[in-house]
Formats: sequence, C-alpha cells, structure tokens
Amino acid sequence: MTAAAQFIDVSRTFGDFTAVGSLNLDIPEGRITTLLGPSGCGKTTTLRMLAGYTAPSSGTIRIAGEDATRLPPEKRNLGMVFQSYALFPHMSVADNVGYGLKLRRIPAAERRSRVAEALDLVGLGHLAAQRPRKLSGGQQQRVALARAIAIRPSLLLLDEPLSNLDARLRVQMRAEIRRIQAETGLTVVLVTHDQDEALEMSDVMVLMRAGHVMQSGSPAEVFPRPANRFVAEFLGYENFVPASLSASDGATTLTVRPEHLEVVQGEAPDGARLALPATVTGIAYRGVDRHLTLSAPRGEGEDDVTLIATVRADHSRADWRPGDRVTVSARPEHVVELAD
Amino acid sequence: MKARPIAAALAVLGYVIMLVPILFVVASAFTSSSTLSFPPKGFSLQWFGKAAAYQPFTDALVSSLLLAGCATALALALGVPVALGLHRGAIPGRSLLQGLFLSPLVVPELVIGLALYQQLMIGLGQTAFAALLIGHAVLLMPYAVRVTGAALTLADPALEEAARGLGATPWRAFRTVTLPLLRPGVMSAALLGFITSFNNVPLSLLLQSRDFGTLPVTMLDYVQQSYDPVIAAMSTLILAATIIVAVVAERTVGFTRIFGGIN
Ligand SMILES: Nc1ncnc2c1ncn2[C@@H]1O[C@H](COP(=O)(O)OP(=O)(O)OP(=O)(O)O)[C@@H](O)[C@H]1O
Ligand SMILES: [Mg+2]
Repeated sequence: MTAAAQFIDVSRTFGDFTAVGSLNLDIPEGRITTLLGPSGCGKTTTLRMLAGYTAPSSGTIRIAGEDATRLPPEKRNLGMVFQSYALFPHMSVADNVGYGLKLRRIPAAERRSRVAEALDLVGLGHLAAQRPRKLSGGQQQRVALARAIAIRPSLLLLDEPLSNLDARLRVQMRAEIRRIQAETGLTVVLVTHDQDEALEMSDVMVLMRAGHVMQSGSPAEVFPRPANRFVAEFLGYENFVPASLSASDGATTLTVRPEHLEVVQGEAPDGARLALPATVTGIAYRGVDRHLTLSAPRGEGEDDVTLIATVRADHSRADWRPGDRVTVSARPEHVVELAD
Repeated sequence: MKARPIAAALAVLGYVIMLVPILFVVASAFTSSSTLSFPPKGFSLQWFGKAAAYQPFTDALVSSLLLAGCATALALALGVPVALGLHRGAIPGRSLLQGLFLSPLVVPELVIGLALYQQLMIGLGQTAFAALLIGHAVLLMPYAVRVTGAALTLADPALEEAARGLGATPWRAFRTVTLPLLRPGVMSAALLGFITSFNNVPLSLLLQSRDFGTLPVTMLDYVQQSYDPVIAAMSTLILAATIIVAVVAERTVGFTRIFGGIN
C-alpha cells in the first residue's frame, strides 16, 4: 500500500499541554482510515494538522510524497467536512458545491456539470437551488460531502461526520460514505469516537489516547487482538482477569468479551482456556439475553474479580439467580493476553 | 403562553410613558390655532408647510444628514476592522481594547464634547464640522464595534476555514464568505449610528457654530424663542421619516437582529 499522507514524528503542543505527541502514521491510498479514541485524545488536532489549519509544533507531514508541513490549507487540495458542516449560508447548495471549482477557474459549463455530478453522487440533485438553512441535518451533511468531493481532493477528511445525526440516519450514512468512497476511490480519513462506526467503516483503524497511537490495523486485526488494556476497554472487553488465576506465560492480564464468557453449573467444558469458580451477584434481563454480574474469588486477602457475562436464556432450566454458584469459562480463541 | 401579570403591566406602562408624549406632539401638529395646545383646535396642515419652508430648519436638516452620514461612515471605517481584530483575538490587550471601545457609552457626552471643543476648535482652530464629525464618530464607534462584533460571533469560524480548504486565499475567503455574512451587522450598525448621530443634542450643542448647526439643536433654539405648532410639525415629520426608515430596515435586515446586537 502506498501512503497518500504520512505523519513523521509529528507533535503539537498547546502551551505545556501535548495534544499530539510524536505521531507516526501512514494514511493508505484509496482506503478509509479512522482515528478513534475518547474525547480530547487529539483526533481533531491530528486531522487539522493534515488539513493545514493547525501547524505541527515539530515533525513532518507529507501529502502524496511531498513535504506539506508548512503548506497553507488552500494549497493542499484536501476535501474537509466539518462537524458543523460549515456550509456558506448566503449561497445556494449549487454555489456551495461549486465554490472550490470557481476558485480553480473551471469554466462555467464544466463547473455546472461537476456540481451536478457531485450532488447526484450524494442524491441531492433536486435541491441544488435551495439555501443550506432550508435543509435537514442529513441533507446539509451530504451537501458538505458533495462540496468536498467536487474539487477532486487527494484526501477526504471527515471530522465526526455523523455525530450530529439521529441514530437511524447515522447508520444509514455509514453505508452511504462507504459507497461514495468505493465509487470514487478516494482516500478518506474519518474521525470518530464511536467504536461501532469505526469497526464498520474502516479499512484501517487507529486507536488514539492522550495524543499517542495505541494500536492500528484493520478491524479484523484489532478487534479480536487488542494490544493493550486501553484498546481492549475501548472496544468493549469488559472482563480483566489477573493472569495468576490461569496458567499463562508473560501476560499479566487476560481479557474476554462479555458475550464470550460461558457460565455453567459444575465443571467447565473441555478445552476451556479459563475456568473460574464464581458466584452470580446480579442479573439484568435484556430480551433473550441475560446480563450476569459475577464475582470470582482471587485468593487470600485480595478483592474478588468482578466479571460480566452476556448469555442466552436457556428455557430448559431455571433462570439464573443471585447467589448461584457457577463456573465461568472461555474458549482459548476468545481469551486475549495483555501485558498491562 | 404563561401569564406574567406584573411584567405585562410594567411593559404596558412603559409603552404608555414612551408613547403618550409623542402622541401629544403629533396631535398638536395638526391644530389650526397658532399656539401649541392639547387637544388641538380644529384641523389644518399649514404648520407642516411652514416647517418645511422655514429655512433654518431645512439648512439644519441638510447639515444633520451630512454629519450623520459622514460620522457613520467614519465610525464604520474604523470600527469594522477593530471588531474583526478583536474577534480574531490577534490583538494584544484585547480586553483593554474592548473596554476602550465601550467607554463612550459610559463617559458623558458633554465630557467628550468639552474635550473636543478645547482641543480641536480652540486649540487647533478646526471648523465646527470637523469637530462635530470627530465627536460623533467617537460616539458611534461602540455601536460599530459591538454590533459588527455580534454579527461576527454568530458566524461559524469553520466557514472561513472551509473556504480556505476549498482553495481560497485568506483575503478571498474573507471577501467571499465573512464579508457577506457581516453585511447585516454592518447595516444595523450603520442605521443605529445614523439615528444616534441625527438625534444627538449634547455633543452638537457644544460643538456647533453659527454657520453649522444640527437640526435638534436648531429646534431647541427655536423652542426657546417661540412656542408654536411649527415645532410639533417638524417633530412629526422627523418621526414619520424615522418610522419609514425603521420599516425599510425591518423589511431588509430585521429589527431583532439590529437590537439583538446591542446587548
Ligand atoms: N486551540 C487549542 N488551544 C488549547 N488547547 C487545545 C486547542 N485545540 C485543542 N486543544 C486541546 O488538545 C486536546 C486534544 O483536542 P482535540 O480537539 O484534538 O481532541 P479530540 O480527540 O478531537 O476530542 P473530541 O472527541 O472531544 O473532539 C484537548 O485536550 C484540547 O483541549
Ligand atoms: Mg474532535
């Protein structure tokens, strides 16, 4: 994979505060890369440095192989979709989309056809004459997308593009953005703090924490194999068991997703990687699922380990009740060893 | 809507206190008798004709319009860049400057007037017009800065960034995005400034001269000498003109925006 953009040892400080610290990152061409992490971890700062709105304190940013560190935004040819959409309120939808083309001195006739093409791509051809204020949030966002795409940017940058939409529209737009990326072959960098969004949309996901990359890779690589406790927690691994409770070399913690824990009365199934005696302490009913809270003793004088398991209701036997003594287990492929 | 009897009563009282004297003046302008009285005796339009033909008034009207126009233009020419600078935060000592541009709202106008009188007219021998122009411009600056500033705060800072990202130089982004968005704010400031200057008495009283007097001051002089319906007619004419301007402004810009910007 060639890199459409590269961060080489890039950092950005605000006073004493390091928003992004020595970031090394390749943005692969023709793919969707997501920057994922909790609020304040430096996602927007990273994107803004790439777009040229925030200057790095140190390091180099390359776009298409060229050093772009000091290039002003207007010379980078990147399409940015802002969280607030930033549509020009005094211009029609078509003029918004055509703004970048006008600046590129593209003749009127070609401009019109490219505006129409971009609006058709997002399915808004019929709203070309409207003012942005008259459109719904989802439509405004599509206009912002069309405006960014119309200039045929070398990268499309999206800062939390879906966070202002309602839940259903958000899921719909995920597929929409994927489709547009596939049709245009654009390189996309997308910022989000929603793990589902990142898992669904990314070719490459980059997990960030306090200005540093904690792990990156495809969802298929990262999701089943979080590299550390932060990534595991962020991706919904809720059980963290000290490795001392199970034979393992090197690791200090074992982690398992709640839906991968098995809860039985009596012996653990054959071949289980983890098998802990535990007591049920709480039950929440979630449709056909039971959300069990369990407590496993760790040893003399130490606090018990709290476990969370999501299990299917089994109608052949009585439902779980607090106080039940059970064995909690997990299969080897579902147990992730962490060094921290 | 929730009933708030005390607030509603106070609002009505406020309007009554503001409007009743105006109604008295307007009504007495239509009298056919030669003294100001209420209720008016009979009906006639003669006083409007007399007011319009009275040369000191027409001269003063021209002076006032000229002064208000020039002072407003000057205040905007200085105030809009200041508002932009303050908004961008590029200026050191921002809060001090902000305070400074507010000060004419709190410093009594007579003090400004006196200062200008001593320095410009006595000290530097400037004409009344120059002194009045500077005095009024100083008076209007806070409106220019604050109303424009309010329009700027409403504009999303990402707009100019979006324009840059699409290929606009900083100047181009300013001209094609920020400036058009600023227009309602600037128009509001202009209207407010113009009316403020046009109605101003304290500054004008101190700085006028024999050959350059503003309309309000000329009318004040007139009242001190003769007390006839001409003055009521002139007031009514100004009131009508102001209402027309206000209606036009409401249609084009919207009063909510104009007055929303002041506080
Ligand atoms: N202009 C600035 N001045 C001072 N601090 C800033 C500035 N911009 C960002 N920061 C700080 O840098 C850190 C990272 O900010 P950034 O906006 O990149 O986070 P983020 O990951 O996008 O968070 P969110 O999900 O909340 O948008 C934050 O702690 C923020 O307060
Ligand atoms: Mg952000």
